[in-house]
Amino acid sequence: MQNVTIVKEPQSSINLALVYALFAAAAVGSYAGVLFSPDGIDRIVANHYDFWACIGLALVGWIVRSVGGHKGVIVTMTVLASFIILTLHQPMLLRYLTFAALLFSMGLYGMVQSRNAVRVLLSIELMLNAVNINLIAFSRYVDPVALKGQLFVIFVLTVAAAEAAVGLAVVLAIYRSRQTVDMDKFTLLKW
Amino acid sequence: MGQDLLPSLLSAPNVETWAFYLLTTLSICLAIGVLTDRVVIRSGFILIGVFGTISGIFLLLSAQFLALAQIMIYAVGITLMVVIALMLTNPRLEREQAVVYYDESLPPLAKIFASCKRNLSLWVSVLSFVTLYAALIGENHWPLSDQAVSPDAVKVLGDALVTNYSIPFEFASVLLLAALMGAVMLAKGEPKNQDEDGNSTIVDEAKKQENNLALQR
Repeated sequence: MQNVTIVKEPQSSINLALVYALFAAAAVGSYAGVLFSPDGIDRIVANHYDFWACIGLALVGWIVRSVGGHKGVIVTMTVLASFIILTLHQPMLLRYLTFAALLFSMGLYGMVQSRNAVRVLLSIELMLNAVNINLIAFSRYVDPVALKGQLFVIFVLTVAAAEAAVGLAVVLAIYRSRQTVDMDKFTLLKW
Repeated sequence: MGQDLLPSLLSAPNVETWAFYLLTTLSICLAIGVLTDRVVIRSGFILIGVFGTISGIFLLLSAQFLALAQIMIYAVGITLMVVIALMLTNPRLEREQAVVYYDESLPPLAKIFASCKRNLSLWVSVLSFVTLYAALIGENHWPLSDQAVSPDAVKVLGDALVTNYSIPFEFASVLLLAALMGAVMLAKGEPKNQDEDGNSTIVDEAKKQENNLALQR
């Protein structure tokens, strides 16, 4: 076994710790989701053939990718087709909520995966927009008179503007001292 | 006529569904473009399209004021700031492509495991989406209301902002002020007392002069 090469871990330890924390949060969240709606998982497993269609679609996309298809086209088609399959027979509120969940998950992926700090901020903006869609959908379909959801969206917009300003200023300050915006090289607090 | 154009258009059969799928298709494609484009400044510009389609979705949900606020704040303000930050940090120097180490000598199962470990954040986000979706379709007791959004929604919002929600409104203004000053302080950089040749700058020399009229009381 002389030709075994040592696999170097490409992700930094900060990214890995974040991923593990998110994984634990997802596990806790799924447990809480089961508590919140005891038959949610059962519904998916038992009588949602659309869900299995999405998994089959992802498998087809994986096979086409391994044959040599273009990655972006396959990912886009798979996500779009899964979204349409999952939302076509739902009421309108659930369509908006599913769209918001999809945007939130995509923003989560971009936030963890990106190496450029500015792209991390862009992904956070995507996640905040998903939250805004949730709030406005609820204020449209649940509370259309008092419109409390739209009020909260105004405050979220304010906080998002402040967050973008301060975040980009932090990125500029770090760039001035480290000459980089690579997340893997922000090791100022590493012990 | 102009005020009730949107509700009458939305009440036509299937218009909301078609518009929803048109806007979400555009939005998802553009969001994938934001996440996967190699050139960061291009993904910053694609983000304008994402925010524009999301403001269209706000229009579908009959939140006209927030749709316009979305365009003004996100699509113009925040994206412009992102682009300026990208120009200041010179993204051409950054190689976005991560170096991925493939080990060809591993057995197939270990290869699959290594691939899962490399793409762990992808699986976490997929799992989060599945969890959210399961919670959504498991809950079918939303207290839905049949009423339409009142046409004077802006009046309702303004009334609520200055009566019931005046304290959070004030706090939001304080937060914006603090964030503004903090951003200026962070981005301003160190005060430069000497230039490259070691001579003190014009401002310092002006401060030292005793007969500076601006500093006299």
